[in-house]
Amino acid sequence: MYAIEVEGLVKRYGGVEALGGVDLAVPEGAVFGLVGPNGAGKTTLIKALVGSLRPTGGRTRVLGLDPLEERRELRRSIGYMPQPPSLYDDLSAEENVVFFAAAHGVSDPRRRAAEVLEFTDLSRRARDPVYTLSGGMQRRVSLACALVHRPRVLFLDEPTAAVDPRLRSRFWETFSELAGGGATLFISTHLMDEAMLCDRVAILRRGRIVTSETPRGILRMGKTHLRIRREGGEEEKTIGGRPEDLAAALKAYGLAPDVAAVEVESDSLETVVLSLIEEGGEG
Amino acid sequence: MKLTMVVAGRVVRQLLRNRRFVALSIAAPLVIVYLLKLFFDTLPPGFDVARYAVPVAAFIVHFLAFLLCAIALVQERTAGTMERMLVNGFRRAEIIGGYVVGYLGLATLQALAALTEVIWLFGLDYGTGTLLTLFVVIWLLALASVMLGIFVSTFARRESQVLPFIPLIILPSVFLSGLLVDVGKLPTWADWLGHLFPLFWANDVIQKVISPSGSLEHAWGSLAVLVGYGAVLLLFASFTLRDPE
Repeated sequence: MYAIEVEGLVKRYGGVEALGGVDLAVPEGAVFGLVGPNGAGKTTLIKALVGSLRPTGGRTRVLGLDPLEERRELRRSIGYMPQPPSLYDDLSAEENVVFFAAAHGVSDPRRRAAEVLEFTDLSRRARDPVYTLSGGMQRRVSLACALVHRPRVLFLDEPTAAVDPRLRSRFWETFSELAGGGATLFISTHLMDEAMLCDRVAILRRGRIVTSETPRGILRMGKTHLRIRREGGEEEKTIGGRPEDLAAALKAYGLAPDVAAVEVESDSLETVVLSLIEEGGEG
Repeated sequence: MKLTMVVAGRVVRQLLRNRRFVALSIAAPLVIVYLLKLFFDTLPPGFDVARYAVPVAAFIVHFLAFLLCAIALVQERTAGTMERMLVNGFRRAEIIGGYVVGYLGLATLQALAALTEVIWLFGLDYGTGTLLTLFVVIWLLALASVMLGIFVSTFARRESQVLPFIPLIILPSVFLSGLLVDVGKLPTWADWLGHLFPLFWANDVIQKVISPSGSLEHAWGSLAVLVGYGAVLLLFASFTLRDPE
C-alpha cells in the first residue's frame, strides 16, 4: 500500500516549468528522502502533495485522497512542516502548538501540546514567545505543530536547513522514532548524509525525477576507484560501484604475487548524486 | 463555526500579547480627536463643530481598523502561517470570520473611546438613542473596514504594498464621503464615486441622526447599505483570499 502516489505531475508558472512530469510512489511507513539542488522543484513538489498549490497536470494521491480537492478529509492524516518556520512569533511555543491542536479537534490540546513539546525537547521554553527562541528551536516548534495531531504522513520541507549538526542528529532521531511508530515521512534535503538515513531516495533535477532508489542502490550506480601498487609501479583503475564489479576486477588481477597493496575508494553518495544530476543532460 | 472561533481566539491572544500596539491603536484616535478640538477652537464662533467631530472620529476608527487588519493578514501570508492554516484544513470563510470576530473587539474599544471623547471634548448633548445609534454606526463601519482590510490584503504580497491603498481608498473617501464638504456640491461623477466608500454611508447616517430635525427613521436606508457593504465585502474577501496558485 502506498501512502503517496504521483503520476505525471506537472506544475507551470507562466512559461516556467517547475515540475515536468513527476512519477513517485512512497510505501506506507517509509522514510522517503527527496534530494536535489536548489531550484530543482523540491518545495513545489511538497506543496503539491499537501494541497497548497494547484498542479497544472497529473494525478496526486495521498492516502488515496486528492490533496487539493479532498483537503478537508485529508487534513487530519497529514502533517506539514514548511521550509520557513511559519509560526506566530508573538505567541509562545505552547500557544502555537495549541492553536494547531485545536484546529484538528485534538482532545485536551494543552496536554497534547505539552507532550509534543517534551518530545521535541522544548518543555523548558514552552512559555516563551517564539521570537525569543533560536532558529533551531523555532524549527522544533514548527515540527511540534506539524505532528501535534498524530498525522499518518508527515511532509517536512528541508527541516534541518541551517540547523547545527548536534540538533540535526536530534531531528533524525525524532524522525526515526516517528517512523518507528508507523508514520510515513517525506523529507526534502540537500544533505547527502541525511539521504543515507532514508529508506528510499528520489533525486529531483529540474522538476524531473532522475532516479528513485535505496541509498545503497544509488551508491551502486557510482564508481569504485582502485589503486594497485605492484613491482612495476602504481596502476589506477576505475570500475563500477557494485560489489560484483570489485570481485571481477580482483579476479582479473588474480592477486598476482607482485601486488603489494590495493586501495579501494568508492564514490560517496554526494558524488554519485551529483553525477546523476549532471548526467541527466539538458532539459 | 468552531474553527472560526479557534482563529478568533488566536487573533485576540495575539492582540493581547501586543499590549503596546493595542494601547497605541486606542490612544491614536484619542490624540487625533484632541488635535481636531485644538483646530476647531481656532475657528470663528458659530461654526457647526458637531457636523465634523463625530464623522472624523468614525473615520479614524475606520482607517485604523482597515490598516491593522490588512497588515495582519499580509503578515500571515509572508510568514507562511496562512498556507499552514489552509493545509491544516481551515476554510477561507473560517479564517475571515475569525479575523472579523477578533478585530471587532478592538474596533469596539476604539469606537467607544473615540465617541466618548468627542462627546465630552466638544460638549455634545445627545440623547441615549442618538448615542447608541452613533456607536452602532461606527461599529458597523469598523466591521466594513476589517472586511475591506482583508479584501485589500489579497492584493499585497508584502506589508509595504498595503501602503499605496491608503491614498487610493482611504484618502479619497475623506473628500468624497461628505465628511468635509457637502457631496451635493461635487460634480455628479464624484458624488457617485463617493457612494462606493463605506464612510459615505456612515457619514450619511451620522448627519441624519445628529441634525436637530433628523432622526434614525430617515437613516435606515443608509444603515442598511452599510450592513450590506460589510456583507458584500465579506463575500469578495472570501473569494479573493488567495487560493492555491
